[in-house]
Amino acid sequence: MAYEQANDGLKRLIHKVQSVQFGDNPGLNNGDLVASESQLQSLLSSPALAWTRLTWARPGESVRIVKILDSLEPRTKGPGGGGIFPGFLGPALPQGRGETHVLKGVAVVVAGKLPRAQEGMVQMSGPAAEMSFLGSTNNLVIEFEPAEGAGWPQVDEALRLGAMKVAVALADLALEAEPDEVQQISPLNPGAGSSLPRVGVVVNLQTQGAFKDVFVYGRTMATSMPTSIDPNELDDGAVVSGQYGHPGLKNPTFVHQNNPVVAALRERDGQDLIFGGVILSPEPVDQTLKELTSAHAARMARQMGLDAAVVTKEGGGNADSDIALKIDAMEAMGLVGIGIFAEMSGPDGTGPPVVGPPSAATAMISTGNYDERITLDAVEVALGGKVVDLNGLEASAEMVLPVAAIYGSLSPIGLGRLTCAEEVPA
Amino acid sequence: MKIVHYVNQFFAGVGGEEKATVGPEVRQAPTGPGRKLASLLGDEHQIVATVFCGDDYAASNDSAAGEILELIRSTGAEMLVAGPAFTSGRYGIACGRVAAAAHKAGLLSLAAMHAENPGVAEAAPAPVVATGLTAREMAATLEKVALAVRKLASGESLTRDDGLVGTGARHNRLAGSNAASRAVDLALARLAGDRSATEIPMPDFGAVTPAGPISDPSQALVALLTEGGLVPMGNPGRLESARATKWLRYPLDELPALEEGTHISVHGGFSTVIANADPNRILPLDVARELRDEGAIGTIYAEYFTTTGNGTSVADGARYGVEWAAELRKQGVQAAILTST
Repeated sequence: MAYEQANDGLKRLIHKVQSVQFGDNPGLNNGDLVASESQLQSLLSSPALAWTRLTWARPGESVRIVKILDSLEPRTKGPGGGGIFPGFLGPALPQGRGETHVLKGVAVVVAGKLPRAQEGMVQMSGPAAEMSFLGSTNNLVIEFEPAEGAGWPQVDEALRLGAMKVAVALADLALEAEPDEVQQISPLNPGAGSSLPRVGVVVNLQTQGAFKDVFVYGRTMATSMPTSIDPNELDDGAVVSGQYGHPGLKNPTFVHQNNPVVAALRERDGQDLIFGGVILSPEPVDQTLKELTSAHAARMARQMGLDAAVVTKEGGGNADSDIALKIDAMEAMGLVGIGIFAEMSGPDGTGPPVVGPPSAATAMISTGNYDERITLDAVEVALGGKVVDLNGLEASAEMVLPVAAIYGSLSPIGLGRLTCAEEVPA
Repeated sequence: MKIVHYVNQFFAGVGGEEKATVGPEVRQAPTGPGRKLASLLGDEHQIVATVFCGDDYAASNDSAAGEILELIRSTGAEMLVAGPAFTSGRYGIACGRVAAAAHKAGLLSLAAMHAENPGVAEAAPAPVVATGLTAREMAATLEKVALAVRKLASGESLTRDDGLVGTGARHNRLAGSNAASRAVDLALARLAGDRSATEIPMPDFGAVTPAGPISDPSQALVALLTEGGLVPMGNPGRLESARATKWLRYPLDELPALEEGTHISVHGGFSTVIANADPNRILPLDVARELRDEGAIGTIYAEYFTTTGNGTSVADGARYGVEWAAELRKQGVQAAILTST
């Protein structure tokens, strides 16, 4: 079988996109991306969808995208994807090898109403644009209307598969283009004999049922025990988000493709640490299962020879306990556990920052206070819906919102620079 | 600088718990701990008046802080010192509210109480200096307060070194690198032996000592309380489904039990279907009546208190607790059953 052949790692062919538009001569030339709107539309066709609409939202434009569901980075391994998003578009076999073309500066964004989805938005200009990773990418926004009589799960699935196909089709435009950068990434090296500390990452995935689920190789992670994968598999879309709650605290597919802790560990691998591995874990809703998965993840970390692990999460207070249990379990085994938390200290920042803190492990990174208010200036164009569900205001109006409503603003997987600190005179 | 000092009825020498309902009054001289504070301040600053108020009155009347502020202004003082309240919840809340109101009115303001007193959260943005647990530490506390008064009067801000506690408001800002890189840095720092490095201090929720058992439950007046968002049908007081900013009280009178359709839960943190089919499962009035009829408990207090615990801040929760305790004490309630969801 192909998988048994030697794994030389992954070659990333990076194409930096400067401008995006629809046109009749699709392709990527000197950073200018031209895509065929009708071809992309045809990829979204589904009995579950009455119609879809495609619109570009570019950095600096007076545009707000509301009701954002998932977002993806355009990538391909060959015509039609060639195995990208395994378990959905490609076969459910380990990926993370060969060549992957990556369109940098572009995202495919699905926006509209689904059950259990919580209102999350992005502003494409002004100070609020900095709060989301989508504020600085050229976003191809997919809006939709469910077909009459279509079930919500079918609508969700049609959107997920459609968005993946659109992401692949955009990246396919770069197959013939000269990459701006080529990155050769080795598969994980055990680093035996090294005296450097071994540091890994535990990625908690929110698994709370339909519309709040995360997929690994196309299957829900909800019923799984923690498992280990090669970090290169993340690059090829082994983890896909179907989790539409907690806009500020969610980890969209785009972020799994670009896992920031994996990037930080890769960058320092062999310098001041050895990148020791990736563990994926569900965030069960049941306390007993939380304790079981946490104990199991900590044991895996020890068996992988890790000295320390960064534990990331998705979601609010419930997910805090998944980090707390894991880093406490690691601490009990003599490992260092670091948790990435968002704070919930009230609009004025005076409440306790974490409601379910760890009891023994005390090393915590803050991605900001989710209650702090932020003002969004009025915009000319709103995509994704006409009204903001949180406050009933017109989607393009000026509004004051908790930071938590900004998509990906408090990224508990560590993507953003937002943090929080006490203001006390020295 | 002319200073007005705020104390409760006990430190004003008016009386103990039996006088906790007295309204605010002013005396044109330092009183109680104010006399010691005046001597520590020397000739530089004068305590020109003392305003005092009963703890129950101050902590359970929305208008109390405004009435106290009127008296404070009538003294012509430029600065307010409130407390020290140590760990006394009602007194601390009163000091916090009075300090915040005076600060807003343009007076220099300072409150003194234990760091875990719920009044600390009420004082912001007025500064609070930390005290010990009880009035046994009065002398050392007043020295600290005197130093803080001098510093504030000279136009300086207080710092941690002066005993400033705070609610230490935390604010968002952009770090130099992303959270993932900082997490890896923190892992390496910990591995290198730095056990204290963290971006989030461990929150301290304090500890509550449970009250002792009541000697004779069969004679006790027992109250039923809930954070389960239980309200009369139609939610007349508009209790929030999450992040409650208030608590409400509703009559039970001689209702034998709650009925489906008369009360509902507006709590947003759980499925309320079962609760609404039988509201007694949130507020166990039916079982409480049985226990009363059996003689196991004396009387059931004729009202219930309710709020929503879902996402409600710890500071607000602590304040509701103090207000509930004050109110129940005033009504002669000896025991309360508080249900959580």
